[in-house]
Amino acid sequence: MADETTWGIAHVYASFNNTIITVTDLTGAETIVKSSGGTVVKQNRDEASPYAAMQMAEVVAGEVQDAGIDGVHVRVRGPGGNLQKNPGPGAQATIRALARAGLEIGRIEDVTPTPHDGTRAPKNAGF
Amino acid sequence: MRVAVTGTPGVGKTTATGRVDATLDVVNLNDLVRDEGLTSGTDADRGSLIADLDAVADRLAGRDDVLVESHLAHHLDADRVIVLRCRPDALESRLLERGESAEKAAENAEAEAIDVILSEAVDRHGLDSVYEIDTTDRSPESVAESIEAVLLGEREASAGTVDFTGYL
Ligand SMILES: Nc1ncnc2c1ncn2[C@@H]1O[C@H](COP(=O)(O)OP(=O)(O)O)[C@@H](O)[C@H]1O
Ligand SMILES: [Mg+2]
Repeated sequence: MADETTWGIAHVYASFNNTIITVTDLTGAETIVKSSGGTVVKQNRDEASPYAAMQMAEVVAGEVQDAGIDGVHVRVRGPGGNLQKNPGPGAQATIRALARAGLEIGRIEDVTPTPHDGTRAPKNAGF
Repeated sequence: MRVAVTGTPGVGKTTATGRVDATLDVVNLNDLVRDEGLTSGTDADRGSLIADLDAVADRLAGRDDVLVESHLAHHLDADRVIVLRCRPDALESRLLERGESAEKAAENAEAEAIDVILSEAVDRHGLDSVYEIDTTDRSPESVAESIEAVLLGEREASAGTVDFTGYL
């Protein structure tokens, strides 16, 4: 079976109370879709970010498909969300929503940046 | 009372805590880890020692009247956890001006933009123990006053008061 999937990279940024997605080409150089953070900022934290993130992911998936991309590798940054594990439900919900909207999901990588200053914490300390 | 002052490198922890008027001893955790070899390895890519957090916790066991200052401070037990914040573009400039490499400044700025340390602090200590203070466009003295307000119990716990994702 020939793989005719046209791939992009979905960058999921999960902050404390926001989730943002950008989709680039495979080199990362060209941005194809950038979600508007404005659609989910200031969401009620009690309603949890997954719902807003899922809605945004549906919109993004549609725009990505319109641009001729049918699969994405996912790079997740950030634990995200209040009292959520790494990668948070915001990120997981986002990936599930992208898949449900018909995008093929390739490799999923956690590329969360590490605060460092001559010392750093061990990976996943506290999670 | 044990207080942790944490935040991404460059937010101004060392500068502000040096100006805090309090009876607490200030412990700089980066120095302690380095000077006493409380490490479990090295991160060659980042030129950083990997802290052995259990060894650090043992080393500070029983030290209750301390203000622990470091981007690692929230990984220890504490009664109050202060998370200093700084707009990522300003943080990156501060680090570059302090003489850090472009890679180090950029990775720390990205970590600040997605609230890595705030999320870890809330995850470990809960919303009731975390005090977020935005230092952007403020003097070290004014930040020190906000820290003192937390020590005096004059400030409410807070988290998620800034959104820096626009700087990603
Ligand atoms: N409130 C502030 N406004 C502007 N620059 C600051 C402020 N606080 C610290 N700086 C500068 O930013 C850099 C980082 O401060 P530092 O205290 O070393 O941060 P940290 O200990 O959090 O890594 C230093 O060069 C310092 O002089
Ligand atoms: Mg310092």
